[in-house]
Amino acid sequence: MLNNAFFHFLTLQLFKERSKHIGIIIISVLILFLLSSVLFISSSLRHSLNETLQVQPDFVISKVQGGENRATPLTWSNELLNIYGITHVSPRVYGRYFFKSKAKSFLIVGVDFLDEQAHKNLQKLIENIDIKTFLTQNSMLVGEGVKEYLAHNFYDKSYNFLTPKGEFKTVKIFQTLPTKTNLIGNDMMIMPMDLAREILGYGEDEVTDIGFNVPNPDEWTMINDKVSALHYDVRVVNKKEVQQSYEHLYNYKGGVFLMLFLILLSTFMLILYQRYSMVHSNERRHIGLLRALGWSIHDVLKLKLLETLSIVFISFILGVVTAYIYVFIFSAPLLKELFLGGQNLTSTIKFTPVLDFSVLSSIFFIYALPFISAVLIPVWRVAITDPKEAML
Amino acid sequence: MIQIENLYKTFQHENTSTTVLNNINLHIQQGECIILKGVSGSGKTTLLSMMAGLDKPSSGKILIEGEPISKLPDLFASQLRAKKIGMIFQHFNLFDHLSVRENVMIPLIPSGLNINEINQKVTQSLNLANISHKKEALASHLSGGEKQRTAIARALVANPNIILCDEPTANLDRTNSLLFIEILKELHNLGKTIVVATHDPLFDNVSFSNTIIPMQEGTIVEGTVVNE
Amino acid sequence: MNEILFSNPVIVYLLSELILFVLLLIAFIISIRVLIHWDFESFSPLQFKLEQQAYLVTTITLFVFSMKFLLLLYFAFTVDSLASLIAGAMCSAGVIDANEYGSPLLALKLLILFGLTLWIWVNFYDLRTKNYQWFKEKSWIFMVMFIFITIELLLDFTYFTHIDTHQPVSCCSALFGQLEGANPLPFGLNISTLLILFYLLFALVILTLLTHQSLLYIVANILFLYIAYFAVVYFFGTYIYELPTHKCPFCMLQKEYHYVGYLLWISLFLGSYIGINSAITALWLKEENQASIKIVMSLLSFFVLLCSTYVAVYYFKNGVLL
Ligand SMILES: Nc1ncnc2c1ncn2[C@@H]1O[C@H](COP(=O)(O)OP(=O)(O)OP(=O)(O)O)[C@@H](O)[C@H]1O
Ligand SMILES: [Mg+2]
Repeated sequence: MLNNAFFHFLTLQLFKERSKHIGIIIISVLILFLLSSVLFISSSLRHSLNETLQVQPDFVISKVQGGENRATPLTWSNELLNIYGITHVSPRVYGRYFFKSKAKSFLIVGVDFLDEQAHKNLQKLIENIDIKTFLTQNSMLVGEGVKEYLAHNFYDKSYNFLTPKGEFKTVKIFQTLPTKTNLIGNDMMIMPMDLAREILGYGEDEVTDIGFNVPNPDEWTMINDKVSALHYDVRVVNKKEVQQSYEHLYNYKGGVFLMLFLILLSTFMLILYQRYSMVHSNERRHIGLLRALGWSIHDVLKLKLLETLSIVFISFILGVVTAYIYVFIFSAPLLKELFLGGQNLTSTIKFTPVLDFSVLSSIFFIYALPFISAVLIPVWRVAITDPKEAML
Repeated sequence: MIQIENLYKTFQHENTSTTVLNNINLHIQQGECIILKGVSGSGKTTLLSMMAGLDKPSSGKILIEGEPISKLPDLFASQLRAKKIGMIFQHFNLFDHLSVRENVMIPLIPSGLNINEINQKVTQSLNLANISHKKEALASHLSGGEKQRTAIARALVANPNIILCDEPTANLDRTNSLLFIEILKELHNLGKTIVVATHDPLFDNVSFSNTIIPMQEGTIVEGTVVNE
Repeated sequence: MNEILFSNPVIVYLLSELILFVLLLIAFIISIRVLIHWDFESFSPLQFKLEQQAYLVTTITLFVFSMKFLLLLYFAFTVDSLASLIAGAMCSAGVIDANEYGSPLLALKLLILFGLTLWIWVNFYDLRTKNYQWFKEKSWIFMVMFIFITIELLLDFTYFTHIDTHQPVSCCSALFGQLEGANPLPFGLNISTLLILFYLLFALVILTLLTHQSLLYIVANILFLYIAYFAVVYFFGTYIYELPTHKCPFCMLQKEYHYVGYLLWISLFLGSYIGINSAITALWLKEENQASIKIVMSLLSFFVLLCSTYVAVYYFKNGVLL
């Protein structure tokens, strides 16, 4: 291919006339940068979310009263164990703890550190923790965001929780959670289950909800019906429903962005069309000369389209790479606020790098296809330049 | 070799039409050197561009080695032009931003030859036109004579049988013009068919040209002058 | 507004289809003009202009074709990505089946790609003649394709706007699995006769290809295409999934199966398309092309080999067949 004279000439032309293309390349890179950044962020968020959901139990049940969740009796978990097809029944205790000012709340998660299944779910969060020393006294693991807030309020070593009974409970800050878990772990406090019960005001035999798995997907509907029939006041939620509602949310955000982006895109296409239609008399003479020297319309079209393709390709690489660096290395300052703004998170979030084929192909179709479509007709018009132009 | 029969060309502009070529008939044999002479506006350039298939006639026939060049699809006409016809233009028509070597290479690019074969042909042609010492120079930095020789090298690079020249000496001084005529003579000796359109009196009595064809208002004037 | 329309791949896909349609519409209008006034023998400036405009039509069609090919793959991917949004859907099968427009749309897409490859073939020969001999034929194919593509665009929008995310759809095991007593295979075949027919037809295709029996070849290849579809869904697919009850033409497009479905379906359809088109042009335009025979042979052989390899590998690993 490199031995091909045509490509030799193409690179020569591109290089010698680079100043002509620089404007288009800059605009393209900017547009691609914006587009890719947004798509990267949303696909990374979606990816982390899916990963989180993956380790969640397939079903969760809880007691409801007046449509609101209430403390769920622990005895229900035994009833679940009797249903054939259900595995990994795990009672869970968690809830939000509000600080005195009520301005800030964090998520308390109680973990039965001696239970295998619970371990698996939280494995990522508690990877490097010495459990034995952790359990010797009342202690907790906190996310980066929690630690910052507490330190700001002069609680460096421990914090005094106020239980619903009005007693103070001192809990030692044992360690912070690993930063890569920030998206979910940022506002979390992880502590032994009994301690969490006490702070959140659950009784001895009460839990927040009970999760369980159903390994065979064909049995999901059947089990769903069976469990719903156990009690009148039980609410059953399955993972797929949760996932769907999240998917809809992300789709909605991305979709609104893309629709706004279409306005930008049509402007871009218009600019391209005009830019490529504006042909210097000098350039017309050049094309006429090529034709006079034995180039066919087909050859000129090939040259011009490959020229366009090279520009598309160069911009594509530049735009995507800069967006990648911006999002995954610099954690997307500014754009992140737009995406996650209003949430209870500080700026310590890192996006997990995901570069899947689907995002890249979407970027290709929404950028390259309109680009080439916009210049196709102007390029053809140049290619049919009368070779007689060379004689004048 | 080149056969022109009943050739007409009329330019239509809104409601005025000008007939630029009026019933041209011409047979040019292989190896002949023809000089088309005529004042400005007599239709020489138009006739040459028809021969090269750059312009389409209004009616009539042009056959290049038996092929009707004006009625061929673009793909074939271009191929014929690339392989059989070398063009030298009035204003040299080089690509100013490319070097001499790159300029000369252009006609060979669509041929599908690889770069080594092309470079070989380019070198040969540069030698023939006596410009190889400047091959890396930018075309815009050349003198008029050097530009002309680059244009010659470009016309010769595909080893065509036919050389068409439109006012080749219009932008040259006397010395360079004479030099050009020398090169033409060499090409003539190589057996190329040559057509020169000019009103330069230097061409009036060149030794190797057997036919001078006077043109006037789009017709070939009777009484073709033959130097013998 | 429908939630599906907010899905990013759907927006991208519909936008791309729309842009391509606008280009085709331009080409269509030009084509009509060119067809009406075309007179190759004429020396009129109009004729020379028409010849140049024909280049625009060619350029647009070639561009649209290559994009449509990529977009079909993207469509498969888009539909697959919707599976997580729709209740009950596990793979594309359920999404395609989410309303009555899905399957016709998919079939139409395959037909359009076929028509466009035929156009490319005729165009190839047309540009090789010194008088644009096949120009009219080529233009008519284009016209018909334009009508199909218009219908496709309408179906595209109807399909995606009529997917109800709350209405549960069936998953592939329900769609392709054996219903009690009903035999899903055509001509009353069972699995072993299906396989015999599959390999026999493949042999016939290769034989007729090598002996240039174009008419017979077309019949054989269409039959082969038809039988191969069933063979993949009801036999070879189960070896890809390594599960005797998993019968689905779409799941194999997913990552879990290393996207092997793309390889499988592309080699089958591309091979058949090229082969049938060469045969049609051989009969119709009396133009033969030696190079395409090799391409068709390698694509189809690759397809058959790939299918068979899955069975063989399973047998070697487990010592039994499913
Ligand atoms: N595109 C055109 N439209 C209208 N008239 C044209 C066009 N091209 C050329 N002509 C006319 O055709 C006539 C012949 O032009 P041509 O260029 O062939 O003359 P020429 O003999 O080469 O003159 P010169 O010696 O000045 O180069 C001129 O009168 C010119 O005005
Ligand atoms: Mg002139």
